[in-house]
Amino acid sequence: MKQLFAVIGMNVRSIPQRAGMSIATITSVAFMVAVLLGFLAMANGFEKTINGSGSDDVAVFLRGGSQAEVNSVLAREDARLIEVAPGIATDESGDPIMSAELYVIVDGTKRSSQTEANLPLRGVQQQAVNLRQNFALTGGRMFEPGTAELVVGEGVIREFEGFDLGQTIRLGSNTWTIVGTFSTGGSVFDSEVWADLGVVQNLYQRGSSVQSLRARLTSPDAIEDVRAYVEGEDRLNLDVTSEREYFADSAGGIATLLKFVGWPLSIVMAIGAFAGAWNTMYSSVDSRTREIATLRTIGFSGFTAFMGTLIESLVLALLGGALAILVIYILFNGNSASTLGGGFTQIVFSFEVTLGSVISGLVLALSVGFLGGIIPGIRAARVPLLAVHQN
Amino acid sequence: MNEATLIRKGLFRKVLRAILMMVSISIAFFIFGVLGAVNKAFNAGVDVAAANRLVIVNAINFTVSMPYAYFGRVQGVDGITHVTHANWFGGYYQQPANFVQTFAVEPETYLDVYPELILPPEQREAWINTRTCLIVGQALATQYGWSLGDRIPLNSNIWQQADGSSDWDFDICGIFTAEDSSVPTNYAMFHYEYFNESLAFARDTIGWMILTTEDVSLNDQVADEIDAMFANSPAETETTTEAAFSQAFVEQLGNINLILTSVIGAAFATILMIVGTTLVLAINERTKEIAVLKTLGFQSGRIFRMILTESFLLSLIGGAIGLGLATALVMAAAEGFQAFLPGFRMPLSVVWQAFALMIAFALVTGFFPAFNAMRIRIVEAFGKL
Amino acid sequence: MTDQQPLYQLRDLSKTYTRGKESISIFKGLDMDIQHGDFIAIMGPSGSGKTTLLNQLGGIDSPSSGQVVFEGKRIDNLSQGALAKWRSRNVGFIFQFYNLMPTLSAAQNVELPLLLTGLSGGERKKRVKTALEIVGIADRAGHKPRQLSGGQQQRVAIARAIVADPKILLADEPTGDLDRTTADEILGMLQQLNTELGKTIVMVTHDPSAAKYAKRELYLDKGEFVERGNRS
Repeated sequence: MKQLFAVIGMNVRSIPQRAGMSIATITSVAFMVAVLLGFLAMANGFEKTINGSGSDDVAVFLRGGSQAEVNSVLAREDARLIEVAPGIATDESGDPIMSAELYVIVDGTKRSSQTEANLPLRGVQQQAVNLRQNFALTGGRMFEPGTAELVVGEGVIREFEGFDLGQTIRLGSNTWTIVGTFSTGGSVFDSEVWADLGVVQNLYQRGSSVQSLRARLTSPDAIEDVRAYVEGEDRLNLDVTSEREYFADSAGGIATLLKFVGWPLSIVMAIGAFAGAWNTMYSSVDSRTREIATLRTIGFSGFTAFMGTLIESLVLALLGGALAILVIYILFNGNSASTLGGGFTQIVFSFEVTLGSVISGLVLALSVGFLGGIIPGIRAARVPLLAVHQN
Repeated sequence: MNEATLIRKGLFRKVLRAILMMVSISIAFFIFGVLGAVNKAFNAGVDVAAANRLVIVNAINFTVSMPYAYFGRVQGVDGITHVTHANWFGGYYQQPANFVQTFAVEPETYLDVYPELILPPEQREAWINTRTCLIVGQALATQYGWSLGDRIPLNSNIWQQADGSSDWDFDICGIFTAEDSSVPTNYAMFHYEYFNESLAFARDTIGWMILTTEDVSLNDQVADEIDAMFANSPAETETTTEAAFSQAFVEQLGNINLILTSVIGAAFATILMIVGTTLVLAINERTKEIAVLKTLGFQSGRIFRMILTESFLLSLIGGAIGLGLATALVMAAAEGFQAFLPGFRMPLSVVWQAFALMIAFALVTGFFPAFNAMRIRIVEAFGKL
Repeated sequence: MTDQQPLYQLRDLSKTYTRGKESISIFKGLDMDIQHGDFIAIMGPSGSGKTTLLNQLGGIDSPSSGQVVFEGKRIDNLSQGALAKWRSRNVGFIFQFYNLMPTLSAAQNVELPLLLTGLSGGERKKRVKTALEIVGIADRAGHKPRQLSGGQQQRVAIARAIVADPKILLADEPTGDLDRTTADEILGMLQQLNTELGKTIVMVTHDPSAAKYAKRELYLDKGEFVERGNRS
C-alpha cells in the first residue's frame, strides 16, 4: 500500500512535466462534460418549469378533442353549466373559484435575437390569481377590469423588450398600459401577459367566446365527480383534465428531445476525449519508461506501475470534469432562456444544474479517465527491467 | 521510396498515436457534419425563400386571422404578379398523434406563387377542378403510405363543421414534388372553399397571404402600401419577406444556431488542444532524426513542408472519415426525420466548409511543429543525446 | 581540379562558444590541408575540439573566424541552404550511434541521400544495392534498424554515407559503440574504401588502435595539432 501511494505520488507530481498534453486532456474532458451539463441544465430547467405549473386540485375544461388551449373554443353557456357542477370549490362569499380564459397570441420582441416571438396575452377573470399556486404581484397593482391595462409575468420581462412597469405597448392595433408585474414561482404562467377577459374579447373580436375554464376543486379526487357531471350533461362537449396532467401531456417532448440530443453528443465527444486521454497516458508512460524500470528493479511491483498510471489518468479526468461543472454552474445556472412550448407560445425557463446531472457528468469524466488509463497502465506494468539502461 | 514514403513513415511513426489523433479529428468533423446538416435543415425555410416573395400576416401575430375581403384588396396593389392565401387546418390522421401539416388554400394561385412545387399537368387539372381534392407532398405521402386516388379522412383539432363533426373527407388527386430536395414536401393542401363553407365558426377569414412581386426592388414599396391600406383597422397587417418570416419562426424555437455553434466550437477546441500538443511532442521526439536529414543535405524548407504535409494528411484523413460518417448518418436518418425536419441531408456547403476547416486545422496544428523542425540546429540536436 | 590543390584548406580557423557570460575557446588559429585520397585520424582527449573540427569540415557548424576552403572555394560563408546542397553532393557522414531512421528499412535508409539527387527510381535502387554489397549487408536490405546488431547498423550507415559518391567521408567515433572484433571489421572496411575506392576520410576517435587504420594521425590538444605518425 505504501509503495502504491509512493508511485501514485510520483505520477501525479510528474503531470506538470507534460503540461501541454495534460492540459489538453483536462480541457477535452471539460468540454465533453460541459456539453452534457449544458443540455441537461436546459432539459431540467424546462422540465422544472412545466412540472411546477400544474396543480392537482385545479380542473381545466377544453372543447372535446382540442388537446390544447390554443385550439379550444368554449361558449359563455358552458361556463354557466360548469359553475353548478359538483366538486367545484367556492370562496367565502359562496362564489365558485373559477376563471374563464382566452388568450390571443401576440408578438413580443426577444431581447436576445431582436426577432418577434409569440407571447400569450391571456384574458382572465378575477379568480385567476387564486387558481395559480404562488401567485404574487411583484410590482405595481392588478389591472382594473374593463380597462386596457396589463400585468406581466417576470419571465416575459426577462426575455422580452418593452414590458417594463409603467410603459405602454402596442399589441396589434391596440395600446396597453403595464400596471403590474407578477410571479408564479417560475411556472409557465410567468411567460404570460394578463389582462381583463372582457377587454381582450372586445379588442380582438372574440365575441363572448373563451378558450378554457379553470376551476378549483374541493379536493384532487373531486375531478371524477366533475367528469361524471360533464359526461352526463348533453349540452356540454368538453374534455376535463387536472391541470398537472394537462401540462405533463403538453410539454414532455422538448425536455426529452434535449436529453436525447445532449447524451449522444457528449458520448461522441467522450470518444474524442478518450483518444486524447489515452494518448496523454501513453506519452506519460513513454517518458517515464526508465523511471518505471528503475522502480521495478528496486522491487516495486508491476501492479503499482499500473495503478500509478491509471490514477494519473483518473486525476486528469476528474480535474476536467470538476472544471466543467464549476464553469457551467457559474455561467449557466439560473440563466434564462425561452423556447416555443405546447401552446405555440414562448415558455421562459431557467437553466438548472441539478445534482443528478453533476453526478452524470462526473461519471462520464471518470469513465473516460478509466478507459484512457487502463491500456497505458498495462503497458507501464510490462515495462521490461532492461529499460533501466535505456538512454 | 520517395518523399511521400518519408512523410507517411513520419506520420505513422507511432501507429497507435496517429490513429488516436485521427479518431479525435474524425469525431470533431463528425459533429460538425451532423450539426451543420441539422442547422441547415432548420434554416431551410430561409434558404428556399424566394427573394421576391412576401408574406402578409395579422399584425397582432401570424396565428391571428384576417377578413377574407383583404385578399381582394391586395390583388389590386401595383407591382404584384401573384397573390394567394392559406389557412392553418391543424390536421391529424386517425389519431391526434398522427399530426398532418395541412393548409386550406386558393388552389390555382397557390401553385402560381410557389412555382418550385411540381404537379403533373393532369393532376394539376384535377386539383383545380375537384372540390374535395387533397394534394399531398411526396414526403408526407411516403410517411403515411398514401397514393393517388385514396380517399382519406383528416380531423382538425381546431375547426368544427356546422354539423358538429371535425373530420373532413378528401380524395387524394395529386402528389406534389419539388425541384430541389431542400424544398419541404411534408404537408398537404385542400380547397379553401370546401373548408370555409363547412365551418361552424370563423367563416370568411384567412390565415395569411403570400404574394410575389414583379421585382425584388418593389418589395418595400408593395409591403408599405399593403400595410398602409389596413392601418387603423381592427386587423392591421404586417408584410415581410418570406426569408425574414421564416427566420423569425426558427428563432422562436430558441437560438439553435448559438447552441450548435457552441457545441461545434467545444469539439474543435478539444481536438485543437489534443492534436496540437501531441504533434509538438511527436516532432520533439524526432529532433535527432530531423537533424540527420539536415546533415544529409535536406533543405530547411523541405523539412518544413514535409512536417506540414504530415499534419495535412492527419487532418484530411481524420476529417474525411468524420465527414463520411456524418454523411452516412444523415442519409440514414433523413427518411425518419422527413416529417419534422424536411430537407435533412448533407448540404454541399457544409462539405466545403468542412474541407476549409480541415485545411485551417492542419495549418494551425502543423505550423509550430513544422517551424520547430525547420529551425532545429544540427550541432545542438546531436549534443542532446 | 588538380592534384596540386588540396581537397580542404583550413586557414586560421577559430571556434569560440559562449555559455552565459563566459566564452570558451575550442581552438584558435588552426591551419590544415587535407589531400585527396587521405585517411586522417584525429585524436585527442574529450573536449579537445575533435568533433567541433569535424563539424566545420562537414559544414554543419560554422567557424567563429578563419576559412574553410573546399576544392578552392570557401564554404564557411555559405548560407544554410547552400551548405545543405553542398553537403548532399560532397559529404558522407558516419556517426557513433549510427543515426539511422528507425521507421525505414536498411535499403530505405541508404536511399535517403539519393532523394536529393535527380536520379530515377531504378538508378537509385541499383546504387543502393551496390552500396549495400560493398559493406556486405545486402542480405539485410529489408530489415529495420532495431532488427540489426550495432555492427550491422554501422555498415548500413556507411552504405548511406557512400551511396551518393561523396568526395569526403567524415566519421565521428564510428566504433565508439562497438566491441573490438566488430570495430576492427568496420575500420577495415573504412580502410578498404580509402585504399581501393580512393575515398578521402577524416575520422575522429579517442581509440589509439582505431587510429592505426588511418594513413595519418593528428593529435588535437588544447586547440593545437600535434602530428603523431604518417604511414603513407
